[in-house]
Amino acid sequence: MMSLTTVSLTSIVKKQYSYKLKAYVQVFWNLVFLQLLAILFSLNGVGMSGSSSETLEVEVHYYSADLVAFFTMLWGFIIAIIITTKAYRNDDFTFVTNRLSHNLSNILFLLTASIIGGLTAMLSPNLLKVIMYIFDRQLMVASTSAAGSLNEFIIGICTTSLYIFLFCALGYLIGTLVQIHKVFVVLVPALFFGALFLGGVSGNTRIVSNFFGFIFTESSILLFMTKIIISCTLVFASALVLSTRLEVKQ
Amino acid sequence: MSVITCNGLTKKYGRNKALNNLSFSIEENKITGLIGRNGSGKTTLLKIIAGHLKETSGEIKVFSEKPYNNLMVSANIIFIHDQMNLPAALNLKEILVVAANFYENWNSELANRLFDYFSFNPSHYYQDLSKGMKSTFNSILGLSARCPLTLFDEPTTGMDAGVRHDFYRAMLKDYISYPRSIIISSHHLNEVEDLLEDILLIKEGKEHLHLPSEDFKEWSIGMQGKTAIINEWTVDKEIIHTRSIGLDQSYVVVRNQFSEQEVQRARIAGIELSPVSASDLCVYLTSKTEGGIDDVFNHG
Repeated sequence: MMSLTTVSLTSIVKKQYSYKLKAYVQVFWNLVFLQLLAILFSLNGVGMSGSSSETLEVEVHYYSADLVAFFTMLWGFIIAIIITTKAYRNDDFTFVTNRLSHNLSNILFLLTASIIGGLTAMLSPNLLKVIMYIFDRQLMVASTSAAGSLNEFIIGICTTSLYIFLFCALGYLIGTLVQIHKVFVVLVPALFFGALFLGGVSGNTRIVSNFFGFIFTESSILLFMTKIIISCTLVFASALVLSTRLEVKQ
Repeated sequence: MSVITCNGLTKKYGRNKALNNLSFSIEENKITGLIGRNGSGKTTLLKIIAGHLKETSGEIKVFSEKPYNNLMVSANIIFIHDQMNLPAALNLKEILVVAANFYENWNSELANRLFDYFSFNPSHYYQDLSKGMKSTFNSILGLSARCPLTLFDEPTTGMDAGVRHDFYRAMLKDYISYPRSIIISSHHLNEVEDLLEDILLIKEGKEHLHLPSEDFKEWSIGMQGKTAIINEWTVDKEIIHTRSIGLDQSYVVVRNQFSEQEVQRARIAGIELSPVSASDLCVYLTSKTEGGIDDVFNHG
């Protein structure tokens, strides 16, 4: 009898994870592109104020790299959908896998991508400053960026990464739903915009605004982290449960 | 010990039954040919064995475990087919490295030698290969992985005659030096016939015949002679195929249950007896309708 290979789940997840870092390298190029685009848009500034007397004129321009963080979240959402599509999903099934290890390695990959996205998004104000300095030759008076102190910088990276990760989770769930049935391509946007607009028409915008309030207005960092981590776990768990029924189709 | 056993296996796509109450078992370390016409359920069966699809009803065990969502089964199977998804971001050499990482029995030396023999360029990408080159690359993966169960679904699609021949030879050589269970589905039975130890013939999702390929050759016999005499001889026989030749001659393939004496008497009666090749027999056994393509045109 030819001896059968026994494998552990963790070793396969590790192998799939390191394989994905190599094979999905394209998503990081997308990240670079999107963040540069966001920086380009940010060069317009977010506001301006000025005052002048007879001898002196002062103009203050405000710049913000918030747009970069927003674009990065969008990126997280999109790559999560992309890795659930057939071209990526079936890659795993060419080699050794089951649905659990497939999902776990995807989640690990998305977590890594979120951290890289969060880090680069937090560093982007510096790039913005450099560009301003080179092309505008204006005086940088004050910076309120979180890069002020190391502590705030780290908290900034954590929260941005967690936001991106939450968007990844949502994208992953939606992508999985679409893989189960194509009707969700129409249904999910319809539900989202329906809740947004019809809610607005009837004066009842609670569903959408409560959702955004829940994740974007938390002031306690610990509570915020708990909220996001629990939400991500729930969303990924539902994607995992749904995908156990998913067959491999070419 | 049997590698695969299945019992009453059924797979439905909507209302259409791709596999219909299929039961068989495959012993270990054999090369089995999975033969059937287009749409007979070969690919569906292989996908279920590989754990890609879940059976609708019935039971299937691979290495005594259910294959769907099973990591152990997945680690011991490699499934080669012509719609394989390989990472688009990695070049051919990098794909071999990834595969080596996943399969414990992977033989890098064999992989590299085959890679060079079929003159692949390490820096090329899989999606840029031609159809035949893709199939060749897939079969390098299949052979080098040395999985206890190797599934080849139409492995030679698009390969030219030379490469097909090389592939069969490579498969046989590696099988001899490293015995394992191989299932190969193919339309070209005449090409693989000599490699196969067993033939599993399926028709419309059911097992039709499962025999060692030696027995397959003697399972039936072709009779040719005057129609009247042939009809007389085949009256209580299991007729597999019949074809008229000219005005009063016919050729009939029947189940070979003749004794030595009967064969002698048939010859005396003016019937030519001839063996039927395995690939012809498969075509006759799996034809869906009475008669052949000629009848489509002879409607007048």
